[in-house]
Amino acid sequence: MSRRVASQHPGPILILVDGAEVIALPGEMLASALLAADKPVFRNDLEGKARGMFCNMGTCGECFVTVEVPGRPARRLRACLIPVEPGMKVQRG
Amino acid sequence: MNAVDVLIVGGGLTGCATAWHLAERGARVLLIEAGELNGGASGQNAGSLHFQIERRFLENGPALADQASRVLALNRLAIEDWRILDQQFGPAMEIVMHGGLMVAHSDAEVALLERKAAREAEFGVPTELLDATGVAKIAPYLSPDIRAAAWLADEGHANPRTITRLLAARAIESGATVRSRTRLADVSRSARGFHLTLESGEAREQIRADRVLLATGAATMATGVLFNLHLPVFPAGLTMTATERTAPMIGHLVQHVGRRLSMKQTESGNILIGGGWASKLQRGATSFDLSCPATIDPDALQANLRAAADTVPGVAALNIIRSWTGIVALTADQLPLVGAVSRAPGLYVAAGGSGFTLGPTFARLLAAEMAGERDGDSGLALFSPDRFDHLNGFMG
Repeated sequence: MSRRVASQHPGPILILVDGAEVIALPGEMLASALLAADKPVFRNDLEGKARGMFCNMGTCGECFVTVEVPGRPARRLRACLIPVEPGMKVQRG
Repeated sequence: MNAVDVLIVGGGLTGCATAWHLAERGARVLLIEAGELNGGASGQNAGSLHFQIERRFLENGPALADQASRVLALNRLAIEDWRILDQQFGPAMEIVMHGGLMVAHSDAEVALLERKAAREAEFGVPTELLDATGVAKIAPYLSPDIRAAAWLADEGHANPRTITRLLAARAIESGATVRSRTRLADVSRSARGFHLTLESGEAREQIRADRVLLATGAATMATGVLFNLHLPVFPAGLTMTATERTAPMIGHLVQHVGRRLSMKQTESGNILIGGGWASKLQRGATSFDLSCPATIDPDALQANLRAAADTVPGVAALNIIRSWTGIVALTADQLPLVGAVSRAPGLYVAAGGSGFTLGPTFARLLAAEMAGERDGDSGLALFSPDRFDHLNGFMG
């Protein structure tokens, strides 16, 4: 499992991932928050096998999730490229 | 020295399928591929199974269009060949033939569709013209300003990433030898067939082959040099794009009669967008350098995506996950170059356009011809390399 290294952070925020509350730190990328919360599976392939993020730099497209932030329409975004925001709702798959 | 009945040069769809057919007949077959199997156009294309007259044939005036229409004789056979492949290989090839639409937006495009359908009827390809209401019924995902479409129930798509590998595996099961990272380095004629020098890394090996098939796609002109022949196919760079996966939206192959466009949705849910937009070939010292990938032309890519969104508005909201390029081969008369090269007895070639859709048919007909099963017209006469024999009057 991934873990955060000790460092100075402002207070944690809450986001919802597939309906479950996940604690994230302001400034970190959504993908990092998912990995730190032990959620490395971003989808299952056609054979039902787990798939996860590969490149962590916006290229592989394996970390696309549906993201809804209050006041903005839901969008499919690459979790490795977007910072977490309070109240963010995320759906994997 | 090792001897084989047939050496196949090129590990793409046509090469691997021909290796399979010939090995099944008991021939000793060696297939060599300079890079990796399926590394060329067979694996780079977007997987359309298109059996209507291609838009590119209509771009250059009626005379060339008439000539190119003769390829329809092969398209009809190809429909059958893809259905057979689907039966023989099952779902792994992801062959889907739920129909295809070539759409029209303007009056001029509707008229072009009508002329095209008339020509297709002559060749027994059962294209149907649909008006806007008919189109909306079959394909509600299409833009409401589409005026008409040519519908062909047999069109569809298949997965270019898996097919050639499955064919290669079947060829090996049937007794063929398949070697990647092996190139043809030198050729000389022998009393019966050819002496050939193969090169894999530092290793060189001499073999003898009665017959040789060049299934080398855009590299065919270069391969021909080894036989002191002009095999006139010309490289062209193309661009393909995949969107992220989305819920089932496009159930057909979609093309446009007035704009370069092909679209389909894969089994995984990605929408593939292509249709003949150029990518830029790299320049070598004296010719195009086909060992480098062609580079994306951002303007062409943007125009391709605009044509896609104008035709299927729902794609506009999707993310692009990848664009890539491939290099195909074209001939002067737009017809493929397939069959025996009379000036070099024992030499066969298969190259020159629509090699994904027509590859299984090229392979089946070539295997029969190479195995000496047909005396008369094998179905390939129209595509014979001998139509360009005048270029080789001082060669061979």
